Amino acid sequence: MTSTRILARRRLGATGAAPHVTAPPRRRRRTRGFIQVAGTVAAERLRLNLFGHAYLGVGAVLIGLLFYLAIAAQITSASYDITRLQDQQRQLIAEQDQLRYQEVTLHAPAQVQQQAAHSGMERVVPSSYVAGQEVAVDLTAPVGASPTDTTPLWMRAVAAIVNTVGGTRDVMAATKK
Amino acid sequence: MLAVAIVLAGMVWSRLAYWQVAQHGMLTTAAQAQFREFVELPATRGAIFDRNLTQLVVNTTVYSAFVSPDQITAAERDRVASGLASVLGVDKTAVLTTLQSNAKFAYIQRRFPKAKADQLRVLKLPGVGLQDETQRSYLPGVGQGTTLAANMLGFVDWNGNGNYGLEQKYQKLLAGTPGYISSYRDLANREIVLGTHTHQDPVNGSDLVLSVDANIQYAAEQLLADGVKKDNAESGSVLIMDPATGGIVAWADYPSYSANDFNHTDAAAFKDNVLSYVYEPGSVMKVVTLSGAINAGAIAPDTVINDPGVITVGGYRIYDWDRRNHGNIDYTRVLESSYNVGAIKAMQAEGHDAFYKNLQAFGLTQPSGIDVAGESFIPPPSASAMGDSQYATTSFGQGIDVNMVQMLSAINVVANGGRYAPPHVVERVGTQVNPVLLQPQRQVITPQTAAKMTTMMQQVVQHGSGWTSRVPGFQLDQCGKTGTSQIPVNGQYTGDVWTSFVGFLPAQHPRFTMLVVVRKPHYPGADHDWTLNDGYLTAEPIWQKIAQTMVVDWHITPDPH
Repeated sequence: MTSTRILARRRLGATGAAPHVTAPPRRRRRTRGFIQVAGTVAAERLRLNLFGHAYLGVGAVLIGLLFYLAIAAQITSASYDITRLQDQQRQLIAEQDQLRYQEVTLHAPAQVQQQAAHSGMERVVPSSYVAGQEVAVDLTAPVGASPTDTTPLWMRAVAAIVNTVGGTRDVMAATKK
Repeated sequence: MLAVAIVLAGMVWSRLAYWQVAQHGMLTTAAQAQFREFVELPATRGAIFDRNLTQLVVNTTVYSAFVSPDQITAAERDRVASGLASVLGVDKTAVLTTLQSNAKFAYIQRRFPKAKADQLRVLKLPGVGLQDETQRSYLPGVGQGTTLAANMLGFVDWNGNGNYGLEQKYQKLLAGTPGYISSYRDLANREIVLGTHTHQDPVNGSDLVLSVDANIQYAAEQLLADGVKKDNAESGSVLIMDPATGGIVAWADYPSYSANDFNHTDAAAFKDNVLSYVYEPGSVMKVVTLSGAINAGAIAPDTVINDPGVITVGGYRIYDWDRRNHGNIDYTRVLESSYNVGAIKAMQAEGHDAFYKNLQAFGLTQPSGIDVAGESFIPPPSASAMGDSQYATTSFGQGIDVNMVQMLSAINVVANGGRYAPPHVVERVGTQVNPVLLQPQRQVITPQTAAKMTTMMQQVVQHGSGWTSRVPGFQLDQCGKTGTSQIPVNGQYTGDVWTSFVGFLPAQHPRFTMLVVVRKPHYPGADHDWTLNDGYLTAEPIWQKIAQTMVVDWHITPDPH
């Protein structure tokens, strides 16, 4: 891909508009890893010879190996735990299934009837069926005038006084004036 | 010399090519079998529920005990044998013999409950292992040694395969799809924890929700058992249907068996007489014959015919059951008193072709297609192959073979306003509604014809042979028809009979349709008077008692009048 910026630079170069400047050769930057740097620093400070380097390498490998073994042991232990828990789970599921069957059986018609029989109950078959009577109230009949109040006058007067004193107007409200 | 060398090299090369190229697949498989372990993860089989979501089948875990005799030292054999004998109740001597055999593996006992397995675990016997397996456990039935609805449900064998009934029919859906774990093993058969694992979860089976009512099922089984014993019959069956949907409410057989103990049961007991037994329906067929003739406009309930008690068809003399001259009677009376001559005349008035089409429309010329395994079906001859006499006998239910599901579905057409409701047991699979329920029902006869036949069947209960089926309070609101037919053996009719009664109630808004069939009844006194074996004395009382139970349990009230 050639960008517009590169094209512009080429154009300028071709027309000689800008003085030709030779770019200094780019130096490749060498990056060194942490281990390499640390190893070099350690070797410089400790002034290790070739055998020292070898020991250091072997030591690093050994530490790595021990780390790997520790992880592997941990995983193996975890896998044993998983197996044990799976076995425990299977047993619990088995127990749950058994309890479910007991529960279902407890409500099964056979069991219900057996328990009812033990309690002295028996299925009673109705000997006859009495059909319902027609509703006596004629709901379609027109609503007539309210019945007249037959409460004696003196009783109404007493009630009015009592209610006034007592603070309730329920009776008054229900009484047709 | 060079040629010999080339030939020898060629032989070696071709042999290598044979093993490395031609046999590559086989060797790879063999190698993988040595270090790769494939563990199946079983899928949980679906449960089965009734219409009220009462669980009818439960998956339970059972255990099998095995020993590895080569891992048990001679000094420990006696302790191991004693432990196994005390917990499992097996013969100690037999166990000792097994332990001394130095075999690598032997079962001691299979499929015992968890309680025993727990006891064995506590003993920590060396070389003894427990293997857990899943088992289907069914609800207890009426009698000892029976389970509820055994003939309809079927059972699941030790390999997890459904046998008979629903368990067989819905095997694929109930069983689900097992998963697996694939891992690597070392030489000592230990799993390599850091190795590659492939894991596929199982897909559990779907649950089934049935149209069956467990309480009605139990009552039907109980009352059927009582009735069959009282009738001194060989066997009996009850089938109850929801008229509007065709869903089966109860499916009872007597005798039956225990699906929990299938391995100790004679295979003959597994046969389901509702679906796998074909019989000649007898006079129950008159409902179909007269409905078709009314629907075709050939007759009406009040059409009067002359019934001299005998009729000659195709060179055969066919009699009414009482061999009497009944004079002029209408078709309502024909059905009430179940006269064969009347049924034949109705068929003749309708015509052979129309009658045959009628049989087809009522579903009697093809299997019912119900979703239970093991349907038996004997197709009738084609319309052109049937002779006059066979048309005549078919009109009153002899000379035609049907199973109970076919017959009940046909009669249910009348209860369902003239529509054929496809019979089925499963209402839902998981959360999916059975597609049968979503299809429009086929109109067989007009609603008017169905209403006329309903009235005629009401008269059967009120004035005819259905009087022993009357449920108190529903005398005016129930419909019924008896049926009795002789059992043929080697082409000859014998003295043994099938008796049946079919009916529904309330008449105008039926809540259930029920068919009871009793096979080879020997009612007390029937040796002198064979009519005592008739449907009205054998099948009908069973129908009446079950109907009464349903009225109470389902809170059914009579139609308003």
